Amino acid sequence: MSFEIAVIGDRDTTTGMALAGATYTHVHTTKDETLSKLNEFLTSDEIGLILLTHRVAEELGFEFRQLMRTKRLLPLVLQIPDKTGYVPEVDELREIIRRTVGGEIIIRKEGR
Amino acid sequence: MAAVLAVSPTRMELMKLRKRVGLAQRGHDLLREKMDALVMEFFEVLRKIQEVRVRAFEQLLTAHRALTNCLAVMGTLETMQAAREAKRELQLEISTRYVMGIAVPAVEVGEVERNALARQYSLHMTSSALDEASREFERALKFLIELAELNESAFALARELEKTKRRVNALEYILIPRLKEAIKFITMRLDEMERENFTRLKRIKAILEERR
Repeated sequence: MSFEIAVIGDRDTTTGMALAGATYTHVHTTKDETLSKLNEFLTSDEIGLILLTHRVAEELGFEFRQLMRTKRLLPLVLQIPDKTGYVPEVDELREIIRRTVGGEIIIRKEGR
Repeated sequence: MAAVLAVSPTRMELMKLRKRVGLAQRGHDLLREKMDALVMEFFEVLRKIQEVRVRAFEQLLTAHRALTNCLAVMGTLETMQAAREAKRELQLEISTRYVMGIAVPAVEVGEVERNALARQYSLHMTSSALDEASREFERALKFLIELAELNESAFALARELEKTKRRVNALEYILIPRLKEAIKFITMRLDEMERENFTRLKRIKAILEERR
């Protein structure tokens, strides 16, 4: 099946992604508005990938994590840095590794 | 501890328990193997993520720089206008793939990068800085799509891994020890009964010999 791409983020991110061909974009202004938009994207059958900036994800906070826990396999959701390259300290993937591997801290060598 | 299973100390029960331990042990071994395989798969995906992530985020920063440049050259409103005009119909082909019985998404995407004409914004109103920005963003998007697929796979694997681990631990630390404890309890009880019986017989024999 073929799907489209949705982007939620600041104005620069959405503009850039629109130029690259993302079909749906939403500029984050208020939390409520973004949440309802995100919900709409998540329940849509046409959207296969939602990109949203770390900053927005952080601002949505608990509700966002709740949505991520209950979402179906599709659409995929990926958090991306915004134009300042902002990536939070606590990485969701790191968190998961810690939980599954059990408190182990993993040091991976680059380019192996 | 034996009371946990509340078994009656019979030979029948003992045989049943032995069978159950055997089964639990086999299940445990199988799950263990599954877990090991999952861990290997998981780390493979993590390694890939690390690679793609670095590339994707770097490319995204480059794209943002190009966009900033474009905003400066063309003006904010004009750039946004162009973004609105641009053709925005990138299609992803997503299917599910199964890795050891776990559904992970497989994303396929055609060529993300397009030439300036295919983008369909007005060419004579825009500057080449816009083309540049679009191209960089298209490249970034391609990496990000790849990253999203890997990310989701990692999550699916992690979820399964957690489940498997919990099962392995439940078998290893709860069920099997309890069954073993019950078996021990029954064998001790049976031995004890044997000894009781033995002394009883001895005593009866002694009494009978006295009477004769």
